Amino acid sequence: MNCQECHDFIDPYIDNELDVAAAILVKQHLRDCSHCQPLLESRKALRALLNNPQLQFEVPDSLRRKIQSALRTAASSAKHQSGRRSFIPWFSIPLALAAAFTIVLGLVFLNQGGMLAPSRGNALVEEVVSGHVRSLLATHLLDVPSTDQHTVKPWFDGKLKFSPPVQDFTTHGFRLIGGRLDYINGREVAALVYQRNKHIINLFISPSEAGRTEAVQSFEKDGYNVLHWDRDGFEFWAVSDVNAGDLRAFADLEMRQA
Amino acid sequence: MNDEHTRARFETLMLPLMNDAYNLARWLMRNQEDAEDMVQESYLKAFRFFASFQGTNCRAWFLQIVRNTCYTALGARKLRQKEVPIDEENYEIEDPSPLPPASLIKKATVEAVRQAIEALPVDFREALVLRELQGLSYKEISEVSGIPLGTVMSRLARGRHQLYLMLLERKEHGQL
Repeated sequence: MNCQECHDFIDPYIDNELDVAAAILVKQHLRDCSHCQPLLESRKALRALLNNPQLQFEVPDSLRRKIQSALRTAASSAKHQSGRRSFIPWFSIPLALAAAFTIVLGLVFLNQGGMLAPSRGNALVEEVVSGHVRSLLATHLLDVPSTDQHTVKPWFDGKLKFSPPVQDFTTHGFRLIGGRLDYINGREVAALVYQRNKHIINLFISPSEAGRTEAVQSFEKDGYNVLHWDRDGFEFWAVSDVNAGDLRAFADLEMRQA
Repeated sequence: MNDEHTRARFETLMLPLMNDAYNLARWLMRNQEDAEDMVQESYLKAFRFFASFQGTNCRAWFLQIVRNTCYTALGARKLRQKEVPIDEENYEIEDPSPLPPASLIKKATVEAVRQAIEALPVDFREALVLRELQGLSYKEISEVSGIPLGTVMSRLARGRHQLYLMLLERKEHGQL
């Protein structure tokens, strides 16, 4: 082994990542070569410094509590949407049946293609809502904060395999405030964020079939209004706590202004 | 299905990883507030994708989520600040000979080491933190960072080299 090879292998050597034969070669070289000794010494000194437990950060208790309660919220909202099997009070059974019936109806109505796979049921609406909630909870609403559609649109280039349509509706009371990447149904989607008075609207956009256009369908989950439509080969999900009328006006603007 | 049972299972597996997650986020984001946001967001993400987690290495899986969440946030910022990315391909190995003696940095304070780590380019910092502070294997690092083993090796080598030189420089300026 020469010095250059020793230099190449010094890191996997001290990390115990070399196989036995290679490790022996490095060890022998280091023993015999005064030239490479300082290298080993420098790595050892560094490791000694980095081993100091004081370098570790301690998780703040407040964060621990925050996360546990956020998880509980996430779990219980999922629970309400999926229907529970245990601890069902007798009077809730008719309600559950009614809810199930509504969901089935919704499915029959909805399940004509696009993002909604048959087996996933209305999980997608849940996902859209939880994507919305998450964006508000974790203060990760925006990756690109900009009210300018000509800034937001190019931001997505190179981050997504498609270029989402980006429009600003400030003059109609829906101000574009930015965008970010998100995941819906295991796919990367564009999320545009609009503000209506104090309310936030998330608009998720992903490609659907070429040229596909489909009318607005509305859903409601946990007090959030959700709208879905297709336009010119793109699929849109709008979700917000604004009232249904306002969200519908927003969807109409999006469809009309295209 | 995200019911109480799933949450309990998720919490049993994932909550003990909060220390690792927080430390990684803290080193990547370089401030407490952002790190907290990233960890919380990662937990919610992981919870959503928990059903699809097939592997056996929870820690690598979760740290990968934390790492990617941080990078998305950092990426958005980088775009605004136009930071120059490091040149991974055109890396030439430094001449090993003129290394000053290691005894010079032996008395470096925790604060000085911390500042030096934070001054490293994010890719090197990430590899070094995962290896030295969190004890991950090369294979785990490659999984978390989404890079080949050879790149793990070269990032560690360059990261350690730079860190060492930075500490020596501080020593010269009497900042250790």
